[in-house]
Amino acid sequence: MNEMISTLVFYAMAMVILGTALGVVMSRNLVHSALLMTACFIGVGMLFFYLDADFLGAMEFMLYSGGVAILVVMGVMLTKRHDGPPGNPFNNNTILALGGAGLFVLVMIGVVISTPVPAGGYVSPDTVNELADMMLNRYILPFEIAATLLLAALVGAIILAKGDGEA
Amino acid sequence: MSIGLGHCLLLAAMLFSIGLYGALAKRNIIAILMGIELMLNAVNINFVAFNRFTVVSDLTGQLMTVFAITVGVAEVAIGVALAYRIYNDRLTINVDELDNMKG
Repeated sequence: MNEMISTLVFYAMAMVILGTALGVVMSRNLVHSALLMTACFIGVGMLFFYLDADFLGAMEFMLYSGGVAILVVMGVMLTKRHDGPPGNPFNNNTILALGGAGLFVLVMIGVVISTPVPAGGYVSPDTVNELADMMLNRYILPFEIAATLLLAALVGAIILAKGDGEA
Repeated sequence: MSIGLGHCLLLAAMLFSIGLYGALAKRNIIAILMGIELMLNAVNINFVAFNRFTVVSDLTGQLMTVFAITVGVAEVAIGVALAYRIYNDRLTINVDELDNMKG
C-alpha cells in the first residue's frame, strides 16, 4: 500500500514537471512561459524532497523558483518592445531541433534500459550537517572557486547592465 | 513496482530533451535561457538520483548539485544582463537578427 502511494506520488510529480516544461516551450506568451517555468522548478524541488535530499529541495525552491524566476521575469519586462503580451516565436530550425531532441531522448531511453546498475542507496539522516562537513573539509577548494565565480558573476552582470561610460 | 534509478533517469532525460528543444528552436534570448535552465535542472535530478539509488557512502552527488545550482544561478544572472545590454544597443533580442559577425 505504501509502495503504491509512493509510486503514484512519483508519477504525479513527473507529470507536473514534464507538463509544465512542455508548456514553457510551447506557450505563445513569454510571461506564461516564465510562470510555467516556476511551476516546473517547484515540481523538481518536490522531487528532491521525494529523493531524501531535503536541503537541496529547499535550495531549489529558494534559488530557482524564487531567484531565477524573478530574474527571468525582469528580463522579459526589460526587453519588451511593443505593447501587448511579449511573444515567444519559434525560429526556422524547429524540425532540426525536434529531431535532435527526439533522437537524444530515444538514445537515453535505450541506454537507461540496457545498462545494469548495482542496487544500493544512501540516505543521510541529516543532510545539512553532512553537506557542511564535506563542503568545509574535503571539498573546500571547489567551495572557494564557487565563491570566486559568484563574485565575478556579480561584478560582470553589473558592468554588463550598466554599459560603457554610463555613470 | 517501486520507483528506482531508471525512472528518475528517464524523467531527467525527457526534461533535458524538452529543454534542448526549447534552447534550439526559439528566437527570443530569454526563451533560450529558460530552455538552458530546464536542462540544468534535468542534470541536477540525475545527480540526486544517482546519490540516492547507487552504491555510495556519502553525499557527494548532492554536493555536486549544490555547485551546479550555484553555476546555474550565476549563468542566468549574466544571461539576463547580456540580454538587457543587447536590447539596449540594438532594440531586438531576436537571435536571428544578431548576425553582424556573419562573413
